[in-house]
Amino acid sequence: MPASPCSREQPGEPEPGGARGPALQMRGVRKVYGSGTNEVAALDGVDLTVGPTEILALVGPSGSGKTTLCSIAGGLLTPTSGTVVVGGSDISRYNSRQLTDFRRNAVGFVFQTVNLVSFLTARENLLVVDEIGPRTGRRARQRADQLLEELGLTGRAGNLPSALSGGERQRVAIGRALMNDPCLVLFDEPTSALDTHLGEQVVALIRQEMKARGTAAIIVTHDLRITHHADRVATIVDGRIADAGT
Amino acid sequence: MFLALREMRRAKARFSMLVVAIALLLFLILVQQSLRDGLIGAFTGAIDRQSAPVLVYSVDGQRTLQASVISPRLRRTIESAGGVGQAGMIGLSTFTARISGGARTSVALFGYQIASVGGPDRLVAGRMPKSPGEAVGSGGAFSLGDTVRLSATPRAPALRVVGIAPDAEIQVLPTLFVSWPDYGAWVRAANPDASAVPPSAIGVSPSPGTSAQALVARIDAAAPEAEALTRADAARRTPGVEAVSASFSVIFLLFASVVPLVAGLFFMIVTLQKARSLTLLRAIGAPGTTLVRSLLLQVVIVLCAGIALGTLIWLPVSQATIGQLSLGFDAGAVLLWGALLLSLGVASALVAARRVLAIDPVEATTGGGSL
Repeated sequence: MPASPCSREQPGEPEPGGARGPALQMRGVRKVYGSGTNEVAALDGVDLTVGPTEILALVGPSGSGKTTLCSIAGGLLTPTSGTVVVGGSDISRYNSRQLTDFRRNAVGFVFQTVNLVSFLTARENLLVVDEIGPRTGRRARQRADQLLEELGLTGRAGNLPSALSGGERQRVAIGRALMNDPCLVLFDEPTSALDTHLGEQVVALIRQEMKARGTAAIIVTHDLRITHHADRVATIVDGRIADAGT
Repeated sequence: MFLALREMRRAKARFSMLVVAIALLLFLILVQQSLRDGLIGAFTGAIDRQSAPVLVYSVDGQRTLQASVISPRLRRTIESAGGVGQAGMIGLSTFTARISGGARTSVALFGYQIASVGGPDRLVAGRMPKSPGEAVGSGGAFSLGDTVRLSATPRAPALRVVGIAPDAEIQVLPTLFVSWPDYGAWVRAANPDASAVPPSAIGVSPSPGTSAQALVARIDAAAPEAEALTRADAARRTPGVEAVSASFSVIFLLFASVVPLVAGLFFMIVTLQKARSLTLLRAIGAPGTTLVRSLLLQVVIVLCAGIALGTLIWLPVSQATIGQLSLGFDAGAVLLWGALLLSLGVASALVAARRVLAIDPVEATTGGGSL
């Protein structure tokens, strides 16, 4: 796999204490839709820092800006103003092509519903990350197999998403998000489609995988029952960080 | 490549159906083209097959050998026109005859005075006539050694087929190329009251240094009652031929339109159906161009497979004969249509490609991706 901008020298070895810089730094980030009297601020002066190995749970009511924040941190959206630094790179002014490269190399995503390519098997859903970038071939295959094993999916590697359970699909998505060895993984409502028990298991797995790799993560959720897995819980209300947590 | 091939492998039935559809459309196009060529060839093959580079009709003949009559005076004018090398009389008449004692059938007799300006230009079997009573027959209708007799006047001299010329029919009739004396003998035998046997046209070759086109212009200028045509024009502008060609052209246009429509629609539907997957891929960093390349690769694979399958289906069918029309495998036509359909199909898929490029990756966060 190509080295991501925030690759650690030993990906499996977390560096507690913050020897590396923050995985995410947002300063005065605004995201405004519309203009004039129709202007709506989805984010309004957000300041947020996520440590290099930190797991942050981002909670807040519907429409508070959780997903917008996550999208800006992941390079899916550009902020109207403010700065966004991910893994040491200021992505605030990246153009579309640079953002595409950034998403491919520096971050991992697990979305709420759309998570797997329907016509690819579980293993291929991991390998596609390698296929859409500079290919590494055997290394990527080894990494995919290793991730599938760690996620308990070795026996399901050849199955299409339609043949996987909801929990298995989320686990494959987690594996895919880790394929490019990102410095930040963004989880958008990862348990919304799962029952309580399965949701608990998936979030526990997320914590285990993130901590094992020393990778930072933001888990966007409105399910307060799973926030205890996070290192910190931040609350966003009306586009502002109401409580950055401790 | 990875995405394109994996998707095709997982949706074999869907992609195979499009391959079969493309194959059948190409097959139909090739059948139609072969029918058109066969039909036009059966109407005017003898004109293409005769050796004179220029044919001169009477203006009143409306560019048909059957209606054209060249008077002796007009013949002298044509022969004396500048740029004329050789000039020889050509006649065409139809008779009811029996071939090797078989049933009565209509036969066209194509008489020529000089073999190099009216005789068949190519034989696939046998030889050119050397003696009176010998003829070259059109392929498919005659065999070497066949004897042809006038049905109504058995006393007329019999003709013996000593050579076979390919694609040499006229008016969709079995056609015999004969020397001018034999032609005259049959015309007089069928119509004993005929005082003379006028030629239907004059076959002319240009003198050295004169092109066929230039000769046509000079003859037309010298003889206002004549209409000179190059051999290809004489065949192409035979009344009815242009109408047949135009009708088939419309059919080809329709078929050629259906292929890109079918391919374009198919890939648009496929693109819409996998919109969520494409949105996800864009969200995790797949460049739009990578996804478009994958789409176009699928288009090329499907079209090439369809073209190959259509050609394979056409290959054995092209050896058949429908009535008196012989089909035929024309590699040039297959290549031409294959290239055309491939180009049109790829062009039609560009609409789907535009939709792929228009995907907004942020849609992945909303569960969208409906394009």
